[in-house]
Amino acid sequence: MMDDFLTVIALIISLNAVICLYRAAVGPTTQDRVLGVNIVGTKALVVVVLVTFIQTESFFLDVALVYALLLFVVTVAVSRYLEAEGWKEVA
Amino acid sequence: MTGDSAVRKKILLTCILFLFWVIFTATLALYDLVLGAVSSALVAVLTVALLGRALDPRITPMVLLRLPVFMVRLIWEIVKANYDVAKIILNPRLPIDPRIVEYRTYLPDDLPRTVFSDSITLTPGTVTVELTGDMLNVHCLCPYHQEGLAGLERLVAWLFGVKKEGPARGAQETAFAAEGGAGSLTAGRPERGGEV
Amino acid sequence: MAKDIVAGALCCVGTFFFLLGTTGLLRMPDVFTRLHPSTKCDTLGACSIIIGMAVHSGWSWELPKLVIIACFLLLSSATCGHAIGRSALRRDIPYWRKKTGEVEGGDGS
Repeated sequence: MMDDFLTVIALIISLNAVICLYRAAVGPTTQDRVLGVNIVGTKALVVVVLVTFIQTESFFLDVALVYALLLFVVTVAVSRYLEAEGWKEVA
Repeated sequence: MTGDSAVRKKILLTCILFLFWVIFTATLALYDLVLGAVSSALVAVLTVALLGRALDPRITPMVLLRLPVFMVRLIWEIVKANYDVAKIILNPRLPIDPRIVEYRTYLPDDLPRTVFSDSITLTPGTVTVELTGDMLNVHCLCPYHQEGLAGLERLVAWLFGVKKEGPARGAQETAFAAEGGAGSLTAGRPERGGEV
Repeated sequence: MAKDIVAGALCCVGTFFFLLGTTGLLRMPDVFTRLHPSTKCDTLGACSIIIGMAVHSGWSWELPKLVIIACFLLLSSATCGHAIGRSALRRDIPYWRKKTGEVEGGDGS
């Protein structure tokens, strides 16, 4: 019963992430795309946490933890790269 | 004096690393505990120069005691912020009038300023977009949102025991000077400038 | 049983805020305004689902890991928003202003 409920929640969040991909694909500036990727990543992280409890496999939680760290590093690194001088916006 | 504090730092770092080891291995078997103790001690000795900077002398027991109260207040602010943003987003007219305001803070060091700017991002209608020295550039969704900043600053000042424009930081300053830095308030600044 | 109800309610709240964040991300006019719903709503949504799962798991080894993930998200999403906003500011991306004609009449509140 609880598993089915969690599966439905995970499906809704995945669908949500697909809608967020719209912003990552067509965002007018590169910063919009980074923001969209960050949001999709947060939702994927939550889906991984939900999968842990749907499958009752504890090691997925370690995956979620590493995913959170990686997401943070990726976003900050790309933002720092984008604010460097002499970088041209590619249309 | 400095040798004593370095040893204390290593022991504290070992304890923290060991706690994380126990949480992540999720077992209390003797073999794992011994392996974790040995490896966390090794890592602490090898990387104290790098990780030791995280054990800031400004994180005193008083700050740790006040942290739960601060977290409860912050979570309440986050809930209020979400209610506010929900009201704006679900309004079909989208009633926003965004602007970037400058805010000069009196919080002294990098750590309180970082906590302050992160808290601003999570509270109603405001996002910190730049932090240089004591100047914050804050993007406000509506003009009335910037009124909440002063109260939040007071909350962060209370967390770190900072008095406004007062020399009441004597105890912390001497603790900082014992680490080997002469001018405590400006000690962190050149490093930070070099990084950026 | 009561545990499951609390966990389910927290999951529903989190999903609602995720939907809200997505709506904001699509509706807002520029990068800076998009930062608002994405940082706030995503933080609360993710944290409430993770805390719901912590309630669901009860006293087990999953609990401290979930708490660590929630605390880290609280820190990291604010910092990510700050980094993206700063890069947008440094690249001189113009930020959206309300039309000056509308400010006089329309700003009732």
